[in-house]
Amino acid sequence: MKYLARKFGMLIFTLFVSMSINFFLPRLMPGDPAKALMDRMEGVEAEKLESVRAAFGLDTKDSLPVQYGKYLLNTVKGDLGISLSRFPMPVSSVLASALPWTIGLMGLCTIIGFSIGTLLGIWAAWKRQTKLASFTVGFFTFIRSFPYFWLGLFLIYIFSFKLKVFPLGGAFSVDQTRGSAGWWLSVVQHGILPAFTITLSSIGAWLLMMRNNMINVLAEEFITLAIAKGLPMQRIRLMYAARNAILPSVTGFAMSFGFIVGGGLITEMVFAYPGMGYMLYQAVNAKDYPLMQAIFLIIAASVLVANFLADIAIMLLDPRVRDGAK
Amino acid sequence: MHADAILELRNLKAGYATNAGFVRAVDDVSLTLHRGEFLGIAGESGCGKSTLAYSIMRLLRDNARIESGSIIFDGTDITSLDEKAMNEYRWTRMAMVFQSAMNALNPVLSVEEQLVDAVLAHKQVTRADAKKTAMEMLELVDINPERIASYPHQLSGGMRQRVMIAMALLLKPDLLIMDEPTTALDVVVQRSILQKIEELRRIFGFSVIFITHDLSLLVEISDSLAIMYAGKICEYGPSREVYASPDHPYTKGLMNAFPTLTGPISRMGGIEGQAPSLLSPPPGCRFAPRCSVAIDACTKEVPLLQVTSPGRLCACRLCGGNHE
Amino acid sequence: MIRDFFKTLVKNRKSLSGLVLLGFFVLVALFAPLLAPYPPKTDRIEHTTLIEENKSDPEVLNEEAEGQNREKSVYTVTITQKYEKTTEYFPTRAKPSKDHILGTNHAGNDLFSQIIMGTRVSLFVGLATGLFVTFISLSLALLSGYLGGILDDVISFVTNVFLVIPGLPLMIVIGTYVPMHGVLPIILILSLTSWPYPTRLLRSQVLTLKNRDFVRASKMIGERTLFLIFREILPNMISIVMSEFFTVSLSAILGEATLEFIGVGNITVVSWGTILYWAQANGAILMGAWWWFLPPGLLIALTGTAFVLINFGIDEISNPRLRKR
Repeated sequence: MKYLARKFGMLIFTLFVSMSINFFLPRLMPGDPAKALMDRMEGVEAEKLESVRAAFGLDTKDSLPVQYGKYLLNTVKGDLGISLSRFPMPVSSVLASALPWTIGLMGLCTIIGFSIGTLLGIWAAWKRQTKLASFTVGFFTFIRSFPYFWLGLFLIYIFSFKLKVFPLGGAFSVDQTRGSAGWWLSVVQHGILPAFTITLSSIGAWLLMMRNNMINVLAEEFITLAIAKGLPMQRIRLMYAARNAILPSVTGFAMSFGFIVGGGLITEMVFAYPGMGYMLYQAVNAKDYPLMQAIFLIIAASVLVANFLADIAIMLLDPRVRDGAK
Repeated sequence: MHADAILELRNLKAGYATNAGFVRAVDDVSLTLHRGEFLGIAGESGCGKSTLAYSIMRLLRDNARIESGSIIFDGTDITSLDEKAMNEYRWTRMAMVFQSAMNALNPVLSVEEQLVDAVLAHKQVTRADAKKTAMEMLELVDINPERIASYPHQLSGGMRQRVMIAMALLLKPDLLIMDEPTTALDVVVQRSILQKIEELRRIFGFSVIFITHDLSLLVEISDSLAIMYAGKICEYGPSREVYASPDHPYTKGLMNAFPTLTGPISRMGGIEGQAPSLLSPPPGCRFAPRCSVAIDACTKEVPLLQVTSPGRLCACRLCGGNHE
Repeated sequence: MIRDFFKTLVKNRKSLSGLVLLGFFVLVALFAPLLAPYPPKTDRIEHTTLIEENKSDPEVLNEEAEGQNREKSVYTVTITQKYEKTTEYFPTRAKPSKDHILGTNHAGNDLFSQIIMGTRVSLFVGLATGLFVTFISLSLALLSGYLGGILDDVISFVTNVFLVIPGLPLMIVIGTYVPMHGVLPIILILSLTSWPYPTRLLRSQVLTLKNRDFVRASKMIGERTLFLIFREILPNMISIVMSEFFTVSLSAILGEATLEFIGVGNITVVSWGTILYWAQANGAILMGAWWWFLPPGLLIALTGTAFVLINFGIDEISNPRLRKR
């Protein structure tokens, strides 16, 4: 229990640090980004100007600590400011429309990628003398070296442009009425390529990690004892080898989740998939700072929560951690 | 082969394939173990004793393998059996206790799971029955059966080792191979473990091959003693006799190397030099470079084990054995 | 020990191929100006020839005698030069041709030259970030792991906090605020998001080594701390430090390309990433202009593969179990 409490404390604190980064970054930048932005926006309405100044904390007579406090309070309440590129829509509404797409895409791909990658890793370690295993490892290693977005571009080129099998982008067909069966079908159709891109790129990481873990575990003495006991190979492979090898994988998953999320964001940008990633892309290009920062915060929060869930998983899987022995 | 011999090794050669060549850790070893006999195998680190233990149970993996020779268990040659056939013997007829129980026990499974799966792998019984057998075994090794639900890291070193012993005896094997089972424990715990083994042996009547580098342990409890050096057995005989009057210069050196608790204080002896590389062993007798009584002929030909007196073997030119 | 490590590295097949590949790219980067057919940002070829030159007769303005043996005169001569200048503009968005092996981009710049010159920037950013981060994380790891105490607690805590904050969104947010002059900002931003992971990894390695008997033995003899760090601990960390260096460099190259692609980096610099940015901004895929976006991606992947191969080799050296039998 102490273990979980400590991890939860870290979660809250890191969230706090992320919010602070959001607060201080615009105020630390050289020059005056707010003024530069305002200069660029000609003939702008008074309210918009107000929001821009508020976003950069230029308007208030409040001292810095007070501004900070107000900002923290607002953020926790869910008030993330007004979007500049979609004025006067509040940032939280913009996010709410994008979030489901990202969760759907990323969630699905992470689960599939992790499962396939881990299973392949177990297989690759067990059969590591065979050519097929070596080739698989090599293939996925090569795929991993490609920048995420390039893989997406390449797939679009082949499948959408040349072969015209899949659509060029977006998440659904605008011709269908939302919620209809046809619409759901188009969702699946639009989702296949982006999902494929993310999954393909991430499988490699799991595969390699699990394979290395398995190889290390298979050299341990308790495997020899299991063989000496005459246990069936299936049980040795799963309950003795894989069960131990997966522990560092779960830890590794937690640590690299941030990286995976990054990859997912980029894939969305390439496919114009209307999730957080694409929204971020548009926000960057439109210099919509409030929206950009809010997206950063939400992403940071989700990564932190995922990490926490992984910590719980480790606790359930490893009896040594449960007793605080580690 | 004797009628009551449970294990016979004939010219066994085994070792490791490395980039530099084949390291023959077990070089032409032959011995016979009778039913109920307690054989101690003693030698320095790296002399091949563990490789010998693993070979008997056919546990050599990766780049380790049996090169030639045969292992006859209860009349059957098990040297080349396939894994499926070998599993009939594993744990039911022969079992092993490893050196480090912390490393040999699966950290994520409870003691119960690890004991029960050994039973269920070989016997068609219910889980409840298997658990009952396991708990009975734990009692025999003086562990509270309630602790069966514990995980390895929750037990003390001595308890873990006793769990290992209980696990090994679950299926009442004929042969128990113990690879330095007490090396990682303190002397007090060592003694209690050894006493427990003796007690269990009286109850179940199994044979034991006990491997160690600590000669003092073996002298009291073993029936016979084999001394290994650089992959070969250099002396063999009833332990009392070997202890009282060792034939081989190496054994003599070993006996001098540990002080007695009683008697006059004498200067402790040692054996100068280091054990040879098993990759390219020296010509002739392997102990010759370190032997104080070696003569020129010792480096020319390898001395074979010869009978020096009834039941005693020695591989040395100077202890009465002649070479071929 | 260090020499042995490098010798083994070269003997291992995987790392050798990785090193050769990397070496190839480094050579291209070094000799880029010589290898590129045109300057990367040029969009034309200019030929200027002198057709005629007319020199008029001297027109004396002033003549003076100075003393007995000296004479001074001032005269003007007018020279008229006639030039012929042909400007050949490169075609824009052109397909690969004899003159332009990989075609041209939207501004008429030769893509092949851009790719060659881009090697310099991408490689430099990647390796510089790798070096910088390795230096920082190693220093922090040694301070934290070896000296322990409060310093260790503080450094570990900060590391753990920044470890979980997702890198890419952070880079994007910082990148849009920071004015981009040259490539230094990108290197700094990449470093800022890459340092936690290696620091943590190296720190645990330092801790393991610190408790090894040979280090404790040296300490007991009374060797000084600096000696222990540089002669006992560091040499035993070479493989993991090198492995981290290549890992960080790899992710830096990918990171730079990603940032440029999104438009957060410095898009005036010519790198593989900016080429892709312009490709995307001009709808290269929709035009079917595979020669525009395929090569940069492939090169990034090849460079990445080089690093990964080297790392494979390092892994196999330090963990013999991973070697093929």
